[in-house]
Amino acid sequence: MALVEARAIEKRFSGVVAVKDVDLLVAEGELLGLFGPNGAGKTTMFNIIAGAVRPTAGAVRFRGVDITAVPAFRRARMGIGRTFQVVRPFRGLTVMENLMAAVPSAAARDGRPADLAALLRGVGLEKRANDPAAALTLGMLKRLEVARALALSPQLLLLDEPLAGLSDRECADMLQFVATVRRSITIVMVEHNVHLALPICDRAVVMDAGSIIAEGTPGEIRKNPAVIRAYLGEDAA
Amino acid sequence: MSRAGSTAALAAVTVALGAVAAALPWLGVSSYVRTLVYYACYYMALGQAWNLISGMTGYVSFAHGALAGIGAYATVIALNAQWPVAAGLAAGAAAAGLASLVIGATSLRLRGAAFTFATLFFQELVLLIVRKLPAAGGPGGLVLQEIYPTSLPYVLMVVLAAVATIAVAALRFSRTGVRVLAIKHDETAAVAIGIDSTRLKVAIFCASAAIAGLVGSIHAIFVGSLFPDVVFAVEISLIALAVPLIGGVGTAMGPVVGALLYVGMREVFQVVAPGLHLTIVGLLILAVVLFMRDGIVGAAARAWATRRRTAVPAEGG
Amino acid sequence: MSLTLFFQLLANGLVVGGLLGIVALGLALIFGVMRVVNFAHGEFITLGAYATYLLVTQLGASPLFGIPLALALGGAIGWLIQAGVIARVTERPELDMLMTTYALSVVGLGAFAAGFGGDFRSYSAGPSGSLDLAGVVVGWRSLTVLLTCLVMGAATLLLVQRARVGLGLRALAQNRDAAASCGINVIASERLAFSAAVALAAAAGALVSLIGTTTPTVGHGWVLDGFVVVMLGGLGSVAGALVAAFGIGFVQSFASYLLDDSWARIIIYLLLYAAILVRPHGLLGRQEHA
Repeated sequence: MALVEARAIEKRFSGVVAVKDVDLLVAEGELLGLFGPNGAGKTTMFNIIAGAVRPTAGAVRFRGVDITAVPAFRRARMGIGRTFQVVRPFRGLTVMENLMAAVPSAAARDGRPADLAALLRGVGLEKRANDPAAALTLGMLKRLEVARALALSPQLLLLDEPLAGLSDRECADMLQFVATVRRSITIVMVEHNVHLALPICDRAVVMDAGSIIAEGTPGEIRKNPAVIRAYLGEDAA
Repeated sequence: MSRAGSTAALAAVTVALGAVAAALPWLGVSSYVRTLVYYACYYMALGQAWNLISGMTGYVSFAHGALAGIGAYATVIALNAQWPVAAGLAAGAAAAGLASLVIGATSLRLRGAAFTFATLFFQELVLLIVRKLPAAGGPGGLVLQEIYPTSLPYVLMVVLAAVATIAVAALRFSRTGVRVLAIKHDETAAVAIGIDSTRLKVAIFCASAAIAGLVGSIHAIFVGSLFPDVVFAVEISLIALAVPLIGGVGTAMGPVVGALLYVGMREVFQVVAPGLHLTIVGLLILAVVLFMRDGIVGAAARAWATRRRTAVPAEGG
Repeated sequence: MSLTLFFQLLANGLVVGGLLGIVALGLALIFGVMRVVNFAHGEFITLGAYATYLLVTQLGASPLFGIPLALALGGAIGWLIQAGVIARVTERPELDMLMTTYALSVVGLGAFAAGFGGDFRSYSAGPSGSLDLAGVVVGWRSLTVLLTCLVMGAATLLLVQRARVGLGLRALAQNRDAAASCGINVIASERLAFSAAVALAAAAGALVSLIGTTTPTVGHGWVLDGFVVVMLGGLGSVAGALVAAFGIGFVQSFASYLLDDSWARIIIYLLLYAAILVRPHGLLGRQEHA
């Protein structure tokens, strides 16, 4: 059984179709990359899984349970953690408090809750635990946000443009961190920078104009003519 | 010092000060000083109630005076029906708590200014309705039939101010408190990490209203008579927010400092400019919001932090 | 109820609706352009009312001169307050914005109470007599108010929807950053919008003093009803706001006659709670979606 099963998803924003008839399956344990040019509908699809956007039609299942109408906070408690494209830390709270605010998912409450200090060490912020989040750099904030999502002890981690705005050095750190995390958690990552993000994916889905145009391993995607056309436009066609 | 440690220390200091203040009537202190202490505690408790919802969640209430007024009416009606004092106070807290559910259940489902509007109109609506209600004495108001010794409301108000202050401090450093503050900082992100923001906001507002209701109940026993235009005057809602704002929003110490300052100021203004009380409080709020956003406590904390940083340059490196 | 009485109440409702429309237009202009809820709007109404009262009683001028005086005074004070206070908080968290206009309102309320006391003030100068239309008596004062409101409302709408400055304001209402990048002077536009809205409020106050009594809280009651209009009618449509303004005007007029003023206000405020329930994302809640 797939961890996430989105069937026949459609989303219109006041008449404009952002996503049409998309099926997306996420297998347990994989790192799925969701790619596409601007306006492809990948962010909408991402938000539909996270619960920030309600689809106009279609259904989303998480571990077999229909979550289409489940509000975002409850999805988080079910084990879906997310980050934001533009970071949204609690700036007035300390770094540690940012993690403390997370409500552990049901699985974590029954088992053992996340070790917050270990999470901070994992993202290299252990020395900043008592600083207000407002004092961190963008790269640190992005890592803090991943750690905050992990404080839920989620089964699914949704990463929204984890590399956006980062320097080359910070990108490398982030990718390495994601590579560590993926060993224990299923990840769906939306990323603009295909070049950097594709190599670490198990599987990739490419969207364009609201539909899926290609699906496969990184190697297959790289050679797919539809993908090349979508990214490079008519020059490459 | 650890968080639990500082909360415990604050609690100890508050209890000690509260005990001294509560004992004043028996220590031969002049009635003028006792009245000042009473009013400081009155403003402190009301300010803490406002601080709990608005300081912690960022959702601004303009109706805490009206909530206190509802508590006052409920208590006087209950006491006049021969209820014991404890039951009368409980009735005040419960009535205000129920009223808060009416406002909160509709408007706190939403983000933005909906809640503030709901409170603004609630303030007006309650006065209009109370003036129409025969059970509440209509425009003429109500008189408390039994006369209680002034030491009763005095001690009760001191205790309430102390308990409210400790409660806010304990909440501030608890996990729940961190979640409430998370809502204030970024509600979308708070929801994404599993915080049920609507339920939490409604619960906090209900607790805040119950405290405000108790403040009104105790004050009703202190003054002995209720006139709707006085009980539901906009001034009381204004004081409820001015006190924590001056001292520092979202901190346990803010309303304490704010209440002490406010009582002192009120005494001065009553002599210097008796007619300009509202205007001066308004200007003060404006000045604090524009130039000293985190109030006196916040400004002092920042000054302290700067001094320490310059004094110990090696730290942090 | 006789038909004549019915039309009489309808006429009263029209006058109230016209004033409410002007007040709501200003509120919507400020909220639309700056995302600021102006709790102090009522005090600008009171300002216009007292200015006209002083003009009539101290200088012996006609109250009709109070309208341009209030427009000029309101425009100038609005400009100063936007530049000195509002501009400092437009980029701040919502709590700061709400506190700022609330504090301004309290300052005004306190100043009027201190300056004029709680007396009910009115004057008899100005248009007098009435027009008898088949038994429905409409005073010239009321007609003056209604006509002035219609003219001011139409002029403002024309300015916003046709003129070049209006284009800037509408762009600003859509997206502040985008408007700035298109070369629109954001600071001047915001100042203009606030100043125009306050001028309208003060002019409405001049008209209020013509048909009623002036007290320190006269504007407060009007602005609360104005908020109800904006919330019921919504920001997006002029037609919706007009329907809401006159609708509230009629409710006010009929309920005041059949019950009393307090009941009229109770009904209107309960309508507001219904509005919050029915159209929660009208003016107030901005549902946030990533």
